[in-house]
Amino acid sequence: MSTKKCLNNSASFSPDSRRTWLKNAGTGLGIYALSNLLRNDDSHAMEHLLNKREPHHPPRAKHVIEIFCPGGMSHVDTWDYKPELERLHGTPFDSELGKQTFAGVAGKHAKSFWPFKQHGQSGRWISDLFPNLAQHVDDLAFIYSMQSKSALHGPAMFMMNSGFIQPGFPSMGSWVTYALGSESENLPEFVVLPDPRGLPPGGIINWGSGFLPAMHQGTIMEIGNGNEIIRDLFPAEPIEQSAQSQGMKLLQQWNQRHAQERPGDSMLEARIASFELAGKLQVSVPEVIDLNQESATTHAKYAIDDKEIGPFGKQCLLARRLVERGVRFVQIYCGAENTSQKAIRPNWDSHEDIVRDHGYWGRILDTGTAALLEDLKARGMLDSTLVICTTEFGRQPFMQGEQKGRDHNPGSFTAWMAGGGIRGGTSYGSSDPIGFQAAEKPTYCYDLHATALHLLGIDHERLTFYHNGIERRLTDVHGNVIRDLLANP
Amino acid sequence: MYRTTPHVLPWFITGLLLVPMLLPTALAQDSTTLSEIERAARTLLRDHCIECHGETTQEGGLRLDHKDALVAGGDSGKAIQLGQSSESMLISRVSAKDDSRMPPNGSPLNSDQIETLKQFIDAQAPWTNAPLPDPKRDHWAWLPLSSPSPPPLNHTPADESNPIDRFLNAQLANEGIIPVAKANREVLIRRLYFDLLGLPPTPDEVEQFLTDTSHDAWERLVDRTLASPHYGERWARHWLDISHYADTHGFERDQRRDNAWRYRDWVIDALNKDLPYNQFIRDQIAGDVLPDATPESTIASSFLAVGPWDFVGQVETPSPVIKRLARADDLDDMLAQVMTSICGVTLHCARCHDHKLDPIQQQEYYSLAAIFSGVKRGDRIVSAEESSAIEHQKSDLKNRKQSIDQELSQLTNGLSLADIVGGGDGSGNGVPGQGIDPNSGNALAPNEKRGFLADVVPNRLNQLKNPWIDAVFIPDGGALRQLAISQSGIQAADIPATDSKAWDAIRNGPVNSQFSTSLNKIDYAQPGFSMLSLHANAGITFHLPYDKLLTAHTSAPQSANPSSEPTSFTFTSQVGYFGQTPKNGADVFVLLDGQIVFKYLGLGRDDGPQSIRIDLTKQDAYLTLIATDAGNSIGHDQVCFMNPSIASIQQSPSKAITERIAILREQSKQLQQELDQLPAPRRVYGVLTEPPTPIHRLHRGNAEDPREVVRPGVLSCVGPKLHELEQLDQHTPDAQRRLALATWLCSPDNPLPARVIANRLWHYHFGRGIVSTPSDFGLGGSLPSHPDLLDWLANQLIQSDWSIKRLHRLILLSEAYQRSSLAHENPAEAFDSANHFIWRQNPRRLDAESLRDAILCVSDAMVRNMHGPGYRDFDYQEEYAPVYKHRVFSTPDMFRRCIYRFVVRTTPHPFLTSLDCPNPATLTPVRNTTTTAIQALATLNNALILQQCSLFAQRLQREYPHNAELQAEQAICIALGRRATREEIQSASQLIRQAGLPELCRVLFNTNEFIYVD
Repeated sequence: MSTKKCLNNSASFSPDSRRTWLKNAGTGLGIYALSNLLRNDDSHAMEHLLNKREPHHPPRAKHVIEIFCPGGMSHVDTWDYKPELERLHGTPFDSELGKQTFAGVAGKHAKSFWPFKQHGQSGRWISDLFPNLAQHVDDLAFIYSMQSKSALHGPAMFMMNSGFIQPGFPSMGSWVTYALGSESENLPEFVVLPDPRGLPPGGIINWGSGFLPAMHQGTIMEIGNGNEIIRDLFPAEPIEQSAQSQGMKLLQQWNQRHAQERPGDSMLEARIASFELAGKLQVSVPEVIDLNQESATTHAKYAIDDKEIGPFGKQCLLARRLVERGVRFVQIYCGAENTSQKAIRPNWDSHEDIVRDHGYWGRILDTGTAALLEDLKARGMLDSTLVICTTEFGRQPFMQGEQKGRDHNPGSFTAWMAGGGIRGGTSYGSSDPIGFQAAEKPTYCYDLHATALHLLGIDHERLTFYHNGIERRLTDVHGNVIRDLLANP
Repeated sequence: MYRTTPHVLPWFITGLLLVPMLLPTALAQDSTTLSEIERAARTLLRDHCIECHGETTQEGGLRLDHKDALVAGGDSGKAIQLGQSSESMLISRVSAKDDSRMPPNGSPLNSDQIETLKQFIDAQAPWTNAPLPDPKRDHWAWLPLSSPSPPPLNHTPADESNPIDRFLNAQLANEGIIPVAKANREVLIRRLYFDLLGLPPTPDEVEQFLTDTSHDAWERLVDRTLASPHYGERWARHWLDISHYADTHGFERDQRRDNAWRYRDWVIDALNKDLPYNQFIRDQIAGDVLPDATPESTIASSFLAVGPWDFVGQVETPSPVIKRLARADDLDDMLAQVMTSICGVTLHCARCHDHKLDPIQQQEYYSLAAIFSGVKRGDRIVSAEESSAIEHQKSDLKNRKQSIDQELSQLTNGLSLADIVGGGDGSGNGVPGQGIDPNSGNALAPNEKRGFLADVVPNRLNQLKNPWIDAVFIPDGGALRQLAISQSGIQAADIPATDSKAWDAIRNGPVNSQFSTSLNKIDYAQPGFSMLSLHANAGITFHLPYDKLLTAHTSAPQSANPSSEPTSFTFTSQVGYFGQTPKNGADVFVLLDGQIVFKYLGLGRDDGPQSIRIDLTKQDAYLTLIATDAGNSIGHDQVCFMNPSIASIQQSPSKAITERIAILREQSKQLQQELDQLPAPRRVYGVLTEPPTPIHRLHRGNAEDPREVVRPGVLSCVGPKLHELEQLDQHTPDAQRRLALATWLCSPDNPLPARVIANRLWHYHFGRGIVSTPSDFGLGGSLPSHPDLLDWLANQLIQSDWSIKRLHRLILLSEAYQRSSLAHENPAEAFDSANHFIWRQNPRRLDAESLRDAILCVSDAMVRNMHGPGYRDFDYQEEYAPVYKHRVFSTPDMFRRCIYRFVVRTTPHPFLTSLDCPNPATLTPVRNTTTTAIQALATLNNALILQQCSLFAQRLQREYPHNAELQAEQAICIALGRRATREEIQSASQLIRQAGLPELCRVLFNTNEFIYVD
């Protein structure tokens, strides 16, 4: 049967052979070689594709790297020091209130499983889970009073990413690139680096563009797990280079003639230009993921050879390389959900054993993120790169029933920002004395989003898109810029 | 911010069309009864104050919606001093510069507005009882359908027999625009095919049309095409976009809806047979509760359930707070879908407060929510009659098989307790996965998964009417407590205290979210094993009277081998901990007649399987299995008894028994075949009707801040006032509520449904609607570019018995539809390049699905089977959160039309997404069209495309062997639907020689000519 042959071919074609082919093909990838076929006056078509736009006000940050720790990071074991919990340790928590939690059962108050110490000139408290990040405390600005509207992973992830607990709204990365367009001709504007163990709760929707044009959705780049770097970057089955370039030549010829017969249709011009951009991606993507270009010292800092920590180190290093080459928004996931690996929880969701799971993920986050901050600073990039570290909700200040873990806590969690116009060593808001609920200046993701947009030169109230009856915003009808955390309020 | 939003009024419409529409007579009357001052001041109060100081809310005890209240003041004293604005608190508060300023949110009143209020107070607050005219209520979309006649034929262009052209051309003439000429026939047939069928015409179809010299060639082509079954497949896609259909729940635990497809098929069929649009609506709103409901109308009502649904929030969490929010979101999704799809009204705003733009009060939002408050989503059978007929046949066959199997089982294996838990008789005819709720004793189907059980009553004996199971219970013992464990009064001591929580059910197979079915590397879910699983805390007591066991056993012919009669029965099993906890997970007990005969305290995964063997007494035996939480809460306490069975001590079987077994096996096999051939009762993921719960207005949309109970109802600003709706109250059953809504929607006095669907048709035929926001006809949406035409079309729909196909036909036969899409240097290009006046057709890019289908069509790989479960282009992995991994290469079973794709919410298809296939989380009335480098990579390199290139090449090779020129010519003709030029044949055949035929196919699939339709 006709399809059979074709399927057999496909089975024999592994990602490895694709890489080999790429290597043999060198830089003459057919499409790229044809860029000179484009007429020079096509620059407006290219602009149309890049979609570059002016910000509302002069930006402090040009790029964002957001590190997302899915599953729910415990603030009381990490960033938010609660001496009162030490006093209450071992005493039972209010059982009626405990019934409102996700698992519906509260155990005894539990102090942090890692001792807290003061660090840096600011003297901020950080637990021993993060010895390396503690060295950077004077660069970090904490929001201690974060809250979520959902205690469930899916909706809370959506909220932190898009401002809404329902799926289908554009993520922050999509809004930012919709607002500002692309800086780089050669790379996608919004790149997502998922945990190699799998996708986070809620899946791809977390970086979807919702009702914004699809061009603003996050592009997944995968490294080191046998998958393609970017889907469809190269032909799914090898095609000889000479055949490709002859084909491309004819394609562009026909498309040119077709467009000439339909003058004034900018869609057609844009699509012709899109093939040129695609060719550029084929060159620049393999280049950016080639971590061998980095020194042995850098490899060591990001611990990329470590079996456990290494994958996240690679994500962080790649994020820096992407930003360096003009990518607007990079989101890194430190944790997965959809996975069958089970020896340790696949993300921060430490219901039954917080020492085991936070211990594991803490070391990963600490090493990679600290290396990233240090690296950005050393290269003078931290000033123009806003780094955000967050989770979808916190964890409870008490044990989950008789287990050794903590339940979800949408009432309080901590996020931090650094670089890109942020005043380090500062904080905003607080949680109550045990970290159960946000206390002073309670806030949702809206304020964090408004602040991030502000630093990028965007007024969050003016960044709107009409959809089904409403001028939608990332911040819905909420959001205030947190001026306390800005270097220049 | 940066883009022109679609609802901005085009410059040329202002003054041209609106004047006659926006001069309602009410305005003129009111001005005689309301003074200017009164009108201005009351409008200010209404727009800025009464949200917090009105009928529903009185902040500070103050109301500002009638004069008495205004004069009386509130908690802080008098709001105004009549005649003395300078002494009035109202003025000082609206002028305040500090926190006391009113209104507290948004911008303050400007000085002119404050001046108006001052004049009003100084004039003794003139306040008649005349209603304040509300311009929002005079919005064009709410007004009844007008009956415009097509303008007379006094303009030049020849054939204007189609009234649509008379409307359009009258306006074009006013603007001095001469529309472009008709497109040529090659363009027309391609346009029509993609528009109506989502597929390209074949070269033969093109040829036939080109050579048809009859005067009505186009008309007959339109009729033929409308009659094609592919029409329903294409247009169902539009309706599924609008209703955000998918085959999974979405959210974190994105489980499959394996029976959702029946609704998709219903839409295809309804469109193909031109189900009248009013019935199309009615069936989707209330088809399951109609007095004359049919299986088809029941399937139609699944419309209400096709949106996303959060399993964790709805079912799994024990937290009532989370559940309330999840239910509020559920209702929001339902009512928003119904109102935007059918009425083009957006309601989200009114969830938290009165709609800012449209005259829709918050209370009306909750009235609509109350219409659906008896609707839950879930899998259901489509017809009780059909189901019971099949059940009847089934039970007959089962009974016959059962007696055979029972005998067989006793001759071979013994009685399986797992099978009995699954509803079987112990011989293996139970349902795998079926279980028993330990808190009620009710049977639970395999797909009825439970999380933490609600309303647990520990130590209650839940009795069963099962020949072998006596009772189930949720144990909470303790040192001094005796637990009742059987209906006969047997009690058990020494069962430990527990936290009285329970999860899911006692099942024939694993429990919901069981960590694993393997222990010590043996998978007990594989054939040859059985599992009786119970999640701590749970207990089950089997009643196993000796005589009954004997009868069951000796149903084999006595004469065959009398000595085989057993003298005693033995319970054998293994027990293991299948959760994640390595040590000390759960305590397990087996009791015989109330005495503990086996116990294992602190059983954990590391302990592996434990063997149990218990001889039953020759009396009225009661066997009890209990799992408790070992004092550390129930966590992962999934305990399974493997191969639990009651058997006699077997002797080696005699020849007679061996023969008997062979006969029985053959009989059983035949009956099983008959059973297998019985159709399953049809099921659909749809609507489960329940007694409605009271719906409260939620203050600021907060599910934890319920206010007054709201009566079920609809919008007040539009449509008829119906007796059916007035009658509804909080006790009205679900059916009556939805039937009333359906009646309101289908009433010819409701202008919205007909206007909205007419506009949607126009949108799909022309690329832009007469209203360019097809799901928003409110004040935030755009105004109609041709309001008379829109109302005329809506009237045509109603007058033709709501026939959608007739409306299609009217539009397709218009000259406007057939115009060329090229500007041809028309002067209009200079001032109406966006083509608002429709002086040409709009060129369009194929949407994601049409592009894929067109490629499959051209390569001749398309499998044209209609209907049935969707094709799955992913590998599925069962997990807590299921994993869907898209396959890189397709297999021929995936070469069906895209409408039959199994749509996964959390894992959108990357290839289709790159071509703007929308995510089914959103209601999508208009698709985006973007052009990106990622998209170019997808159309060049994706495995599907390359596979199809190879298949297209094989087709050409097969049909036109060894002739590069002919192959080139035919490839262009098949792909682009036109004759190739000599020059094209030359360059294409050269490419075939140099780069191979597949590369030419790849080029063709990527040409703009292939993916844009003129």
